[in-house]
Amino acid sequence: MADLSGWWDDYFWGAVTVLRVFGVSVILTVVFGLIGASAKLSKNRIARKIAGAYTVAFRGTPELLVLLIFYYGSAVFLTSVSKIFFPETQFVDIPPFWSGSIAIGMIVGSYATETFRGAFLGVDPGHVEAARALGISNVQTFFYVRIPQMWRLALPGFGNHMLSLMKDTALISLIGLEEILFVADMATAVTLKPFTMYMVVALIYLSITTIITLTVLILEKYANRHLESAR
Amino acid sequence: MNLEISLILESIPKMLTGIGVTLQLLVLASLLGLGLGVILLLMRISGRRYLSFPAFIYAYFFRGTPILVQIFVIYHGLPQFDIVRESVFWILLREPFGCATLALTLNSAAYVSEILRGGYLGVERGFHEAGMALGLKKHHRFLYVTMPIAIRLAIPAYSNEFISMLKATSLASTITLLDMTGVARTIVAQTFAPYEIFISTAVIYLVMTTIFQRGFGIFEKLMSRHVKQ
Repeated sequence: MADLSGWWDDYFWGAVTVLRVFGVSVILTVVFGLIGASAKLSKNRIARKIAGAYTVAFRGTPELLVLLIFYYGSAVFLTSVSKIFFPETQFVDIPPFWSGSIAIGMIVGSYATETFRGAFLGVDPGHVEAARALGISNVQTFFYVRIPQMWRLALPGFGNHMLSLMKDTALISLIGLEEILFVADMATAVTLKPFTMYMVVALIYLSITTIITLTVLILEKYANRHLESAR
Repeated sequence: MNLEISLILESIPKMLTGIGVTLQLLVLASLLGLGLGVILLLMRISGRRYLSFPAFIYAYFFRGTPILVQIFVIYHGLPQFDIVRESVFWILLREPFGCATLALTLNSAAYVSEILRGGYLGVERGFHEAGMALGLKKHHRFLYVTMPIAIRLAIPAYSNEFISMLKATSLASTITLLDMTGVARTIVAQTFAPYEIFISTAVIYLVMTTIFQRGFGIFEKLMSRHVKQ
């Protein structure tokens, strides 16, 4: 404990960064998951093919590699583009925070695609047909009929995706984001107590994942409240 | 920006030198992880508090923290203690390969024990009772009735776990190990051609995951051949 004095604030701000990455990537996960699932279920063959390639590619390659491709790839691309306009530029990159969040959002989004697809298939087709019979537009059917019914079915799987998303955020320190793993690295260099420092990181992650697990449990209870037997 | 095909063709043999380390890590960690996972499963379902509780805490810790952090705790963290450095395990733990294997093993064991527990809980009680009615001993019931069914139920989840293990081996490159990702990162550091190198590495991983997925699919069909007609 004494070793940690003076590092609490760094860990705190590191944890805030982790939570910010988490927030951005969760939103992106939902967006990519919904788009992917809709594409997979659409009648358009090209859309189905693209969505299929997306899930295969992002689920089959290591997260670290995707992250490196996003970060260094975008850096090389942007640098070469800006050299055309400003010949004196040395290096341009998308900040690690954004390239990392986008990469993680797309990775977990590919898993969410499958979960959402299953959940959309679980919505009673009769309800969708009823909406059509009532003359409700496709977009409105999507948001007012399909989504309210599918999120309940998607929740258990999506909860797991959020946990793996949380754990993937640790990788962003490898491309230079100053989050808790990065703080532990610095603290180790000063105090020479690596075990203590990295263990703090593990415990911070453990507490965040615990909170996520509990939140999902509460949400599941809320989503299924109409199924509870009356007493 | 143009992709250099010659660079890709040049680097592929180099990258394939890393495949050995990747596969060694994968095979060692998944075999050891399976062993430890079975022990944890037995502790978890033993019905004795002092055995099941530690197994629960173990799985909770290793499933709740990132593998990267676990690797760092073991590789950078353990040498903090003199006991570790003076013990016989130091021969293993001073090498990045030993550390990576240990971290992946411990991590995989936690997931495997949960997967097997899922399979175990999925076995119908009737089979168990039938075994009891036939007068089978407790450990015979477990070995010959419950486990074969539980294993079959656990295969799909286990194949996912095996593939995420394959992907997790790429994290060994962060502790200076030259697995496929490690080799790719060195080449990129020399040539600064991230698209060419990383994407071709990704394709190699993709081929590997596809092969393993197919393999597990065949294995599952084999195990459940009695179910279909």
